[in-house]
Amino acid sequence: MKKVRCQARETKNVYRGIQMIGRMDELTELQASALKEIVNIGVGNAVTSLSKMIGKKISIEVPELKVEKIEKVPESAGGADTVVSGVIMYVEGDINGYIMMLLSRSTAEAICTIITGENSPDILNCMNQSLIEEVGHILAGSYVSSLSEFLGMNLKISPPMQTYDMLGAIMDHILIEMSRNVEYTLLFDTFFTIEGNRMEGILLTLFDSGSMQGILARIEAMV
Amino acid sequence: MIIVGMADSAVAKKPVKITTLGLGSCVGVAMYDKSSCIGGMVHVMLPSIENARSKDNPAKFADTGIPYLLECMIREGAAKSAIKAKIAGGARMFSFSSNAQLNIGERNVTATKESLKKLRIPLIAEDTGENYGRTIILDTENGELIVKSALKEQKIY
Repeated sequence: MKKVRCQARETKNVYRGIQMIGRMDELTELQASALKEIVNIGVGNAVTSLSKMIGKKISIEVPELKVEKIEKVPESAGGADTVVSGVIMYVEGDINGYIMMLLSRSTAEAICTIITGENSPDILNCMNQSLIEEVGHILAGSYVSSLSEFLGMNLKISPPMQTYDMLGAIMDHILIEMSRNVEYTLLFDTFFTIEGNRMEGILLTLFDSGSMQGILARIEAMV
Repeated sequence: MIIVGMADSAVAKKPVKITTLGLGSCVGVAMYDKSSCIGGMVHVMLPSIENARSKDNPAKFADTGIPYLLECMIREGAAKSAIKAKIAGGARMFSFSSNAQLNIGERNVTATKESLKKLRIPLIAEDTGENYGRTIILDTENGELIVKSALKEQKIY
């Protein structure tokens, strides 16, 4: 079977690191596309539930699969000092990882307006923060339940944590946590665009290496 | 302007500025020698290299990153006796981190201070803790440290 190497910036270093996390570069074409497909299904379901909630069409791009050095994740997710409204949840159970929903200020405001009808909402007030938090939770909930159904795994998500701050600051404690055990992580980056102008967000999924092995084993078993 | 990434460090001479972006629980350490106008910055992620799986990047840890930065600055011509430090970061971004990891930001700040103390580098300013992210810029013209955040006024130390 033809081997494909995952997209990575520092190829040589990545190669070295990947060996440590279990030769992720040697994902077969089938594995790589199966992984993307699984994430795509999950994100698709998540976005559908958001779309139903706000009554707008949402389009998603095919997720990008990257092997990224942990220290580089904020850069590759949009820049460490980009200010976003972020919601973070842990995924626990048969696989471990994180799901993050990152929205630009204008998108967060637009979602608040659609749901509450409030004009020029203040996304920093408690009500709206909790609203965005719940939107993230619903998204991640349907994401994880579709993953869990598809893979036949037992998964649950933590309560959501929301804040409006710099992207690097929002996620660095997660990266710190991951960096204790691994140097590289698998990163799925999905952009979704909500019907209308300048409304876009990123749904970011990070898995540790052990979880990836678990998912790959399930895929093998299915074929 | 030199951008220092996560677990990264840099040394620069006047008039180059050094910055690190989006510090949350991580700590940014800026050191400056007024006499030679040499400045350095390191962005540490973890308190200690002990028990770390991978030890090949000294800039990642407070207890190795600060001595490493000092060494780099001295190599560039800075005088150790003139170097002073300013630190920022170590926030607790989310209030309910229930797990036993406790407050990694606070632990990073404590380890940073210990490391500076051990090297006898005076800590002359700090903007740490609380619950928001920071971007810092060290101006090697005068040693000023500018701290920016998403919602608060910019501060200069």
